[in-house]
Amino acid sequence: MALLDVKNLSIDIHGIRPLDGISFHVDKGEILGIVGESGSGKSLTALSVMGLLPLIGGRIERGTITFDGTELTTLPEPAFRKLRGRRIAFITQNPMTSLDPVMRVGAQIDQVARLHLKLDAKAAQVRSIEIMEKLRIPEAATLYHHYPHQLSGGMKQRIVIAMALAADPDLIIADEPTTALDVTIQAQIIDLLVELVRDRDLALILITHDMGVVAQTCDRVVVLYAGRIAESHAVQAIFANPRHPYTKALIRCIPREDTVPGSLTGIPGAVPSVAHYPSGCRYHPRCARRGPPCDGIVPALDRPMGGGEIACHFPEGMGNVHV
Amino acid sequence: MSDLVTLRGLGKRFESRKGLFGKARAMMAVSDVTLDIPRGKVTGVVGESGCGKSTLARLVLRLLEPSAGEIQFDNVNLRALSAPTLRRLRRRMQMVFQDPYSAIDPRYSMADALLEPFQIQGIKLGAAEARAKVESLLAMVGLGAQMATSYPHQLSGGQRQRIGIARALALEPDFLVLDEPTASLDVSIQAQIISLLEKLQAELGLTYLFISHDLGLVRYFCDRIVVMYLGRVVEILPDPQAAPRHPYTRTLLESNFVPDPTQRREIRRLTGEIASAFDLPPGCAFAARCPNADDLCRRVRPELITDPGGHASACHHPL
Amino acid sequence: MSLIIDTQAGAGQSFRRSVAGKVLLTPKGGISGCYLICLVLLALLAPWLTPYPYDVQELSIASQAPSLAHWLGTDEFGRDVLSRIMYGARTSLSVSITAISVSVLVGMTLGAVAGYFGGMFDRFVTAAVDLSWSFPEILIALILVAIIGPGLHSTMLAIGIAYLAQFTRLTRAQILGLKNETFIEATRNLGASHGHIVFRHLMPNALAPVIICGMLATGDAIILEATLGFFGLGAQPPVPSWGAMMSSGTAQIFKAPWIIIFPGLAVAVTVIMINLFGDALIRALDIRAKLREG
Repeated sequence: MALLDVKNLSIDIHGIRPLDGISFHVDKGEILGIVGESGSGKSLTALSVMGLLPLIGGRIERGTITFDGTELTTLPEPAFRKLRGRRIAFITQNPMTSLDPVMRVGAQIDQVARLHLKLDAKAAQVRSIEIMEKLRIPEAATLYHHYPHQLSGGMKQRIVIAMALAADPDLIIADEPTTALDVTIQAQIIDLLVELVRDRDLALILITHDMGVVAQTCDRVVVLYAGRIAESHAVQAIFANPRHPYTKALIRCIPREDTVPGSLTGIPGAVPSVAHYPSGCRYHPRCARRGPPCDGIVPALDRPMGGGEIACHFPEGMGNVHV
Repeated sequence: MSDLVTLRGLGKRFESRKGLFGKARAMMAVSDVTLDIPRGKVTGVVGESGCGKSTLARLVLRLLEPSAGEIQFDNVNLRALSAPTLRRLRRRMQMVFQDPYSAIDPRYSMADALLEPFQIQGIKLGAAEARAKVESLLAMVGLGAQMATSYPHQLSGGQRQRIGIARALALEPDFLVLDEPTASLDVSIQAQIISLLEKLQAELGLTYLFISHDLGLVRYFCDRIVVMYLGRVVEILPDPQAAPRHPYTRTLLESNFVPDPTQRREIRRLTGEIASAFDLPPGCAFAARCPNADDLCRRVRPELITDPGGHASACHHPL
Repeated sequence: MSLIIDTQAGAGQSFRRSVAGKVLLTPKGGISGCYLICLVLLALLAPWLTPYPYDVQELSIASQAPSLAHWLGTDEFGRDVLSRIMYGARTSLSVSITAISVSVLVGMTLGAVAGYFGGMFDRFVTAAVDLSWSFPEILIALILVAIIGPGLHSTMLAIGIAYLAQFTRLTRAQILGLKNETFIEATRNLGASHGHIVFRHLMPNALAPVIICGMLATGDAIILEATLGFFGLGAQPPVPSWGAMMSSGTAQIFKAPWIIIFPGLAVAVTVIMINLFGDALIRALDIRAKLREG
């Protein structure tokens, strides 16, 4: 049984359904990528697993979320609180807003260990500095006493990661952890996360819009489009042989060494808003391979022989384009 | 003359004061940039935050007043121009901004926004002429004529950026500065916009100065690449595929996430941070993060030296 | 540029229509809006609507309680209170609206120039605004009236100057926030002059919060005008003003309370209605956040 197993998850926010039948799982020592453009439901997936949907007025409509044998969808809030931050940690996109500006960064890391591991102040400090050193924060003992505004963006994100690690979690969910950072710093942070997963046998869910980051780090990928799964598979298979037209187009949006000038086209149109989801396959208005059933019939999530999942009436490598 | 814009020793100094009685601190946002921007080509400027690329973009158009150096635009010395002459010349050099969400006045309809350039430049258009102009500009950037009556809040980010481009093209300029035009857009929309810019450049023979933090994108889109680090040009690649000579350029290249899992990069234990532009070291600004740095690098700043092939780099120990 | 003008006028009309709709269709906005319209009509048409002249004294019917002949009673000189309240509305409204309008116009200009150009002028304006904010409006108005003497014009001037700082400050804050928006830089890059930027982009975007603020200040100005009138520093007899009427009523507050109560009610209800209308307008224009900045 996987560490985290999400099955057929649908959520409801004020009468609309921004996530519809999402399933995925992630195991220890594994990195799962959840990719999609803005508005695809990536962040809502993270909030659902963290049990934070009520904060934005949402609820789980259908489906199960099983974490290490515990069913999370029915878990009462006090029990969830013992899990959140302790066994499941969350790293957000913007390190600037996830740190308290009037509290020393060291104390913010201490807080997590003191709350969840019941350490005393002294032990928590020793442990925090240890974690900071492991994250290769230079002069950790000095920086421990700094305030967030005294640190650079990359350093702040390291502190946020240190907070996530403070209670020794089993699963980390990172929602676009590097989007706000500079290119070289972004690479450092991503490398750090990959290393942590390998060294500590953690499970990591990496939420991103960047197919490049996915290719370089993930073991498996779930591609979301407008609240549904378009395709999921092992990372090599997805990049070598993308079967959903959306996956293929998304990969092609990033120029590579061998991309011929003038051949970058992007995907026409834009992700529809939740209130205006088209009927049938939600990708069909932007799809080059669409055919007669696409605008009326929702494609079922298929599990073909070669592994993975795909929801498309006309997957790539399967006959001609229908007009 | 094949260069549309030439910059000679361009610099910009900002001063800031901490508190009322604090000591004034000076920061060189851009120092000593000498650069030729060839006509009809795409020149890319790449670098991370604080490298001065956005300041450079504004200096080139004299939206910011340079503290040093010269700007020649089509053999006219921009710094010597009076304000009214400069205002008239602006129709030949335009800019597309990073944030499409705040680049259009929220109270202007798209037709108003697209006609404003003509109004500002004192070009009189009849009603029918104006309508035709709006429609042709919208068509040029791939938007339908019905868009003319919409307001910014009704448009998506990609559509707004298209309007930003159409507005910049309204006066038929020769030179377009693109300041990270896709940085706040989704990848699928980024690719749309880049493809549109490619098409327009080919059709209208425009000269672009493309500012970006994404070396992968710059290598795809540009004919020439200028790499900046903390206010200075550290390398100029005459050809986007040329092998980097400056270690910083190599670091940027290696930080790029190639969308191919079979070409995984090895994990590097680089920990350096970008230095503050307020207290720059006397030597090479990159020395603190450079694996090849020695004593010389920390003491003496390397000059930008151009080889006969047009490849320039500022490094004591080029790769 | 007829198309620009056309589309802007069109947009302006539908804009006004929709905002008016949003204001008047709420209970708050509807009631206060109707009251204010009626009040303005009463004030404008007072010479034709009043049952009695406001200034003819008839001591034989002095201090009579409300009756069918005199709905709101008569004052100590036998003048009809209702007629005097209607004329008083003329004074009150004309003084406060004129004073605030001029104050808004001057304040917007000062604030816009200071905010847009900055420099020495900005420092001077900011210092002056800060200085005037450290005194209550009533004190400033009293000092000014003391210097230039009582009367309608000096009341207007005093109120206008007392509120000037508020509008200057709000406009300056709006302009400071707006001038760093990308669309301002984009417009400058098209070769636009300072005038174009200020009048076509900055002012229209800064207008709504300043208008609301002016609306609410009009309510305060009515109180200030009544206060000055109460102390005999406002409109001089026989011109009726609500404040002066209340002042004259104090002598018989127990014997003939209607003389003081009805003008007092007129002030209170009008100010409440103006505030309600302002509230409705804030909601309709959705500019709460912008007001907080100021």
